[in-house]
Amino acid sequence: MPEPLVHAVSLERAYGVGGAQVKALTDATFSVEAGDTVALVGPSGSGKSTLLHLVAGLDTPTSGSIEWPALGSRRDLRPGPVGIAFQGPSLLPALTVVENVALPMILAGADEGGATTAARDLLDVFEVDTVASRLPEELSGGQSERVGIARAFSGSPRLVLTDEPTGQQDRATGARILEAIVTLAVLGGAALLVATHDPAAAERLAARWTIRDGLLHAEELTCSS
Amino acid sequence: MLVLTWLRGLLHRRAGRMIGQSAGVASAVLLLAALGAFFAASRASMTAQAVRAVPVDWQVQLSPKASLSNASSTVAATRGVTAALPVGYADTSGLSSRNVGTVQTTGPGTVLGMPTGYATTFPGEIRPLVGATTGVLLAQQTAANLGASVGSTVTIARPGQPKTTVTVDGVVDLPAADSLFQSIGVAPGSAPTAPPDNVVLLPAAMWHGMFANAAPGTASKQIHVQLAHDLPTDPGAAFADVLGRAKNLEAALAGSGLVGNNLAAQLDGARTDAIYAQMLFLFLGLPGVIIAALLAGVIASSGRERRRREQALLRVRGASPTRIVRLAWAEAILVAVAGMLVGLIAAAIVGRIAFGTSDFGATTGQALAWVGASVVFGLALSAATIVVPAWRDVRMLSVHDTQASVSTGLGRRPLWALAYVDVICLALGGLIYWQAVRSGYQVVLAPEGVPTISVSYFTLLAPLLFWIGTALLMWRVGTRLLRRACGWLRVATRPLAHRLAGVVAASMSRQRRGLSRGLVLMGLTASFAISVAIFDTTYAAQSRVDAQLSNGADVTVSTPAASGLPAGITEAVAKLPGVAAVRPMQHRFAYVGNDLQDLYGVDPATIGQATSMSDAFFANGNAAQTLQTLGSTPSGVLVSEETVHDFQLQLGDTVNLRLQFASDHAYHPVPFTYVGVAREFPTAPHDSFLVANADYVSISTRSPASQVLLIRTNVSPPTVAAEVQQLLGPASGANVTDIVTQQQITLSGLTAIDLAGLTKLELVFALLLAAGASGLVLALGMVERRRTFAIASALGARSRQLGGFVWSEAAFVAIGGLALGALSGWWIAQVIVKILTGVFDPPPEHLSVPWAYLTGLLVAVGIAIAGAGSGMLRAIRRPAMAALRDL
Repeated sequence: MPEPLVHAVSLERAYGVGGAQVKALTDATFSVEAGDTVALVGPSGSGKSTLLHLVAGLDTPTSGSIEWPALGSRRDLRPGPVGIAFQGPSLLPALTVVENVALPMILAGADEGGATTAARDLLDVFEVDTVASRLPEELSGGQSERVGIARAFSGSPRLVLTDEPTGQQDRATGARILEAIVTLAVLGGAALLVATHDPAAAERLAARWTIRDGLLHAEELTCSS
Repeated sequence: MLVLTWLRGLLHRRAGRMIGQSAGVASAVLLLAALGAFFAASRASMTAQAVRAVPVDWQVQLSPKASLSNASSTVAATRGVTAALPVGYADTSGLSSRNVGTVQTTGPGTVLGMPTGYATTFPGEIRPLVGATTGVLLAQQTAANLGASVGSTVTIARPGQPKTTVTVDGVVDLPAADSLFQSIGVAPGSAPTAPPDNVVLLPAAMWHGMFANAAPGTASKQIHVQLAHDLPTDPGAAFADVLGRAKNLEAALAGSGLVGNNLAAQLDGARTDAIYAQMLFLFLGLPGVIIAALLAGVIASSGRERRRREQALLRVRGASPTRIVRLAWAEAILVAVAGMLVGLIAAAIVGRIAFGTSDFGATTGQALAWVGASVVFGLALSAATIVVPAWRDVRMLSVHDTQASVSTGLGRRPLWALAYVDVICLALGGLIYWQAVRSGYQVVLAPEGVPTISVSYFTLLAPLLFWIGTALLMWRVGTRLLRRACGWLRVATRPLAHRLAGVVAASMSRQRRGLSRGLVLMGLTASFAISVAIFDTTYAAQSRVDAQLSNGADVTVSTPAASGLPAGITEAVAKLPGVAAVRPMQHRFAYVGNDLQDLYGVDPATIGQATSMSDAFFANGNAAQTLQTLGSTPSGVLVSEETVHDFQLQLGDTVNLRLQFASDHAYHPVPFTYVGVAREFPTAPHDSFLVANADYVSISTRSPASQVLLIRTNVSPPTVAAEVQQLLGPASGANVTDIVTQQQITLSGLTAIDLAGLTKLELVFALLLAAGASGLVLALGMVERRRTFAIASALGARSRQLGGFVWSEAAFVAIGGLALGALSGWWIAQVIVKILTGVFDPPPEHLSVPWAYLTGLLVAVGIAIAGAGSGMLRAIRRPAMAALRDL
């Protein structure tokens, strides 16, 4: 049996606000394996982004444990095995669109020319190849979002995390972009976690995890596509 | 109410920003107010030095029919008069003295009648050399002319009366002969009268006995006056005060006397010196204030994005633009008040430590003006960095515009760049500089040895234009390099950024505005520090050369021209500890036509061992060549330019000088060969003098005696001076002086202002500014892009890779800024020194570079950059959760 990409037990994350503490995530136990496609749904502030940050190794849990058995230690996750598309604007303002997308590959050690070619292919997939030479400040919100998704797939990651990937797209474009995300993940054999409010988007994925007030309810805790 | 809530919020939530902004304002106010303290201290010291330099404050010339007793009563009753003594002046048609069987005679002279106690009341007027300090005294030069000494008899020829004979009790020097024998009451602008060549001082009773029935117009009386020195500290105010008192006295004397106002004349000079201090302030201080202001602007602008977001939120909540600007004003006033308080208190402390005063002005008015200027400056700076950007932002049409404008800052080139204002400034500065150098512009004119400052403010535009042009050019070079030379940048950053070199170069290219801002600030700070350090070091070195020129060497022994140094003294002094070299020098007098001049007999080959022989001493600008020419021509003589002009001399011409021979003490012609022009020479007067080979003078006059001993020391000169004094003993009559003491009393325009405090303040401030600017600009630039680094880190950039960004940018700002700053600083120092050449006496041959300070500057900048960079890397190693939650 293949090792899971992510394995979390009794994961908890609390933030200090004033003298009190707010628990963003409580007692979450789950595993993610290669090829899993999971929709993470829940209302705003329910803890979806916190869970994604923990899975990406960007944040550390207050209690419980999280490991990446098939990916290595937390330090090995990025750049390379894990790609993440953030909810808000996250492009580096001083780099062009294509440079933004090529950056994770270059950080992982790829040569600049190869990384740029691969980045252009990804931009083509997400329909932003026409703005490859522009700076982030020259893009619309929807274009920035798509460039962010393209960057998440940069370097053929084994686990892709996206936070509200179609929040700024019209319905038709959103559907095409989601289709592209799922297709790329499946073809690449990567696991996919998509945090979304959009029920239609959630329907496109094999499994659905609901998160409410920090509590994770999974229809299948271990999912397979 | 909202304002108070807003300010409370800022103090609680944005304390770092508020402290940073206040610190920026405080540093600018500190330097401005400290300069005010320097100004106050230098003015006060100029007044004090002027007062100290005057041996007799007033010389009241009585009209022939005036009653001495009435006039004395009137003078004594004048406000501030502490002593008043009558002095008689009588003409003599000649003096003669019999010596070793021959009779020496002189031309016309003056016989003074000195009252009892004159020497103690006016200690600077008469300097005893040999013999008694009272009785019949001969001036040094007169004694030399007559070959007379203590015990000699001198016959005084009285116009219209029989000759009379006196016995000499002592020989004295009259250091203030110019003022002692001045013409009082002549029209302003008249040529100054040279003091008489021959002077005899008699006790008042003897003088009255001899000249009671003097022919009309051949004798007169003066009352010499000492004033209480409770004068205003400002030289201008002191000048007005002394002038007013003198006019009051003249009115009270009702035509029976005129006041020769020596003190006012000296204070008038000090008043002019104050203009020089103002120039130094402009050249040396103002750039520092501007850089401190720029730094304050950078600190304030680092919080601009956050402030914009806060404004956007306020506008969403319905706050009107007026209210937003009002809130910005509240913040600006709070920052300004805190900055001003800290700055003024720090300036008072710095002023006390560096200049010995906590006052910001020599008068209450000046102090208030400086404090007022500092307060206005602090407020204006705060408003310019906080209110103006806020006002500009609220004028944008929408919140979206405000947010959209937060970007890399790339946009159209500024108007000045399109108009090439930098090139125009540099060209104009170069033109003014060229014109000033070409026309031989000198700040200090020295007609007849009296330094007068003549300032052409137009010429001062040159360094100012260079400074502005250089700053703008640095910006142009920085942005152009980052925009156009991306390939070069990629190569240059490879050692730091490795595989990321291309990305780092692209990133730097697009952040060219921010990086160029850092480059300019770093460059200007380095330029300021380097130019100030070079100028100050050159100034200090020249000040020492100036003092050495006046004193002759580190330690100088001088004896009257009539006598000579004790035998074997040169060898004895050479053996003293701390003596590096010692050379004797002859000081005689020689007639050039009817003009009696000082003659210095030297060994040209070795004179330079004991004292500096600057190239500037000689008209051809080459000391070695001139001295070699003199040495190779036994009868050679160096003369002054004035003598060359007056006697229409050509190189190689024979000049017949009349020298006093030891055999008969009479002056006889000796042929010399004119081989060059000397402008300055150790111990020589500013006007005419002669330099010849000592051997030739010795053989010609049959006297090998030297009158001056020049000593170079390798320990403290006053220590060696004390040892030499002890060696000579009190009976020698020799005068021993050292350069350190001389430096403290030299009164030329150059050393009238003690720059030590200002130098210390500026060098320390420049060092702090350079370290602060480099570290702060880098740190603030990184803080502004903290989010960018958080994203890069979230994408997997390792510390080393993030370091590629940080260190590449740091290297660009630091290396580029230091290189451009060094070039500009050196050039500006060169321009300032060249324009102020006339202030230096003699002018410097080259710039003095303070390598130790510059090394310290490099180390400070390096530490600041390393600290800021590594601190930033530590902070961004793990992406901040606040930044991540925004993503």
